[in-house]
Amino acid sequence: MNRDSDPMDNAGLDALFAEARAADPAPVSPEFQARLIEAARVALPRRPGWWQRLSAAFSDPWGLPGLAGVGVAGLAGLWIGVAAPGPTADLVSTFWQGAAGVAPAAARLSANESDIFSSSGNELLSLLGDGIE
Amino acid sequence: MPRDTALTQTAADGPSDEALLARYAGGEALAARLLIERLAPRIFRLARRLLQDSAEAEDVTQEALLRLWQIAPRWVPGGAQPATWLHRVAVNLATDRLRRRRGVGLDTIDEPDDPTPGALDSMIEGDRRRALDEALALLPERQRVAVVLRHLEGLTNPEIGASMGLGVEAVESLTARGKRRLTELLSGRREDLGYER
Repeated sequence: MNRDSDPMDNAGLDALFAEARAADPAPVSPEFQARLIEAARVALPRRPGWWQRLSAAFSDPWGLPGLAGVGVAGLAGLWIGVAAPGPTADLVSTFWQGAAGVAPAAARLSANESDIFSSSGNELLSLLGDGIE
Repeated sequence: MPRDTALTQTAADGPSDEALLARYAGGEALAARLLIERLAPRIFRLARRLLQDSAEAEDVTQEALLRLWQIAPRWVPGGAQPATWLHRVAVNLATDRLRRRRGVGLDTIDEPDDPTPGALDSMIEGDRRRALDEALALLPERQRVAVVLRHLEGLTNPEIGASMGLGVEAVESLTARGKRRLTELLSGRREDLGYER
């Protein structure tokens, strides 16, 4: 704006505004920027730990709190499967030994495992019934 | 072609402000650094123009950003842009400080950063910008905020209304009255400014 412009009118005032807009704005000093970054770091939201995230996921799955038990049961089953203490063959053997004492006919089936899996439920029950009688 | 204002200008590339804020909420500190580099200069410039005091402008900038960090985990995507939200917070914080200044009286207000006495006199020497600042400082705070946002920050009237919580007509009235008052203030120093009668 030159000195012939009159600040008393709109044109003169607009020229003053334009001059102020064109002036270099005061920069943000490096020290101030460092303070801003530090403040942001201090205020940084804490990321929840894995247990909090797991709890949150299973406390209200799909917005249905009633499914929380299903989720927990599923997790428990998964854990049992992964962390089984030993082979299940021992458990099967123990079962058939016990069964032989009660129903000898059923015990004979253990000699050929494929017979067990190919027999229907009724057939197995009748064998057990024969042994008991 | 829409005007590129303080509120509408965005980064030419890189993630959006909103995406960065979400990353910050997820615990990524680097996102805050990027947001600070992008937004802090604008907020600081705005606060300095409103308050004419660098230390107070820094306080306002820091407080506004702190509020942004605090609201980050609850930020609703798709609503107001972080820059717009931050701008509004900064305007409110600066307005509060201007009101407090009125409350304590003009005599206790710190001089502008440049302690040169009689800023209007320096206009004759070419420092018209500082003279304008001094005249702006004499406006009622709402007129001052509206004039600064409109004529120095280049915001549109609807944007100013959003920042000040006012309707467009109220903004127009404030800026018009502010400009009238400015011309009165400056015309009172016509001879000091070197203008011939």
